[in-house]
Amino acid sequence: MRVELEEVLFSRGAFCLRASGAFDEGVHIVSGPVGSGKSTLAVLLAGLMPPASGVVRWQGVNSVLLLLQFPEHQITSPTVAKEAASWGLVPEEVLALADLEERADDDPFNLSRGELKRLTLACAFTRDPDLLLLDEPFSSLYCERNGWFCGMIEERGSGVTIIFSHEHAVLPRVDAIWEMDGGALRGCGSVPGAIPSWRHAPAYLTYALEMGARPENIRLADAREALCRIRD
Amino acid sequence: MQDPRLRLFTLVVLSLASFFSVAGALGAFMWWLAATPRTKALPRPRVLLPLFAMIALTALVSALGGGDGLSYLLRMSVILLLGAWAYAGTEEGEVLSVAVWALGNRKGFDIGLIAEMGLAGLAVIQEEIEQVWVAMRLKGIRPGLRSIVPLAIILIITEIRRTDDVARLLTVRGYTAGGEICPRFQRGSNDILASISAVLLGILPTLFLRDVFILL
Repeated sequence: MRVELEEVLFSRGAFCLRASGAFDEGVHIVSGPVGSGKSTLAVLLAGLMPPASGVVRWQGVNSVLLLLQFPEHQITSPTVAKEAASWGLVPEEVLALADLEERADDDPFNLSRGELKRLTLACAFTRDPDLLLLDEPFSSLYCERNGWFCGMIEERGSGVTIIFSHEHAVLPRVDAIWEMDGGALRGCGSVPGAIPSWRHAPAYLTYALEMGARPENIRLADAREALCRIRD
Repeated sequence: MQDPRLRLFTLVVLSLASFFSVAGALGAFMWWLAATPRTKALPRPRVLLPLFAMIALTALVSALGGGDGLSYLLRMSVILLLGAWAYAGTEEGEVLSVAVWALGNRKGFDIGLIAEMGLAGLAVIQEEIEQVWVAMRLKGIRPGLRSIVPLAIILIITEIRRTDDVARLLTVRGYTAGGEICPRFQRGSNDILASISAVLLGILPTLFLRDVFILL
């Protein structure tokens, strides 16, 4: 299972996106500042827009799901339970995962942004597509829920998961790192080898590297563990 | 047409002519062909076709009930084309300027502000419809009658909520009634000619035909 981008070019007004590379099975993080083209790349990878030139290839991928940055854009039903059902899922199962059982009959727009994000994330992970694209999945989530979300990503057994985020506080364990800068995609490589060349690395990773530690992955716990190792 | 006052005047004249008679609608359609960018001023088919479908459905119901469905279809289609042309040419703040120019800084400002918010809402609805199509595609929902009804409900509820938010925002900012702006307008070289031809093509066929029928 893999998704390939072959000299993909997309432009809208003054903005131009260029991307080449292959996303193999596992968890990938695509980081970059706001406006660098992460959301556009996610839409191209989901096949919602064709590139101006180049090719996007989905090999062995039978189902694709893009979770949009703003969860309210994903709503198509008048109640929380019906919204879960609109994804083709059993509402009780999804609402239990999202911890929203008591809001089943509420209007989805009456949920807080964080609750709505939890609902869409629970729907996406329950549906378990071959290619899961998560656009800024950490935005609007309460701190304690970031851990819940990272756990779901790490427990996802198969498929290609690509996280598009500029999050710098709580991150999941990943297999590869990519960067978007000024509309250009750059592959940093596999983790842990890619960590030192990651320009958008969170402060705790940069600190660990400066101290001479070599974290195994990108989580705060990995940086702590690496620092403990060199101090011992 | 650059001058929003003439654009609004033309729209009203031609819409009334189209509404009241098929001859007026044909005159208005000829004007639309000659004086507008035609298809370049139309919205995307995804927006235009459902609107046209609603008119066609109403015309069909009218025809089945013994009414003149074809006449309704022709007249309303021309009004739709005119509305699309006027909407495409309207820039932010123009409606407020026209209302203040016509009715002053108190009533004119209030009416213009409401109209501006309505027009801004149309653009937002268009964007929301696009988002809903994307969401449906991502979920694998096929567009149909079953899915369109709940979506329409969602869009209406969202708009009511947005209106409430805007009202609260205006109150928080201290808005009570009226306001002051100095409207300025630019006029294109063909604006007056286009307006006069609109009056001729929109109204004269109606008067002329009525006279012919009286004579007969």
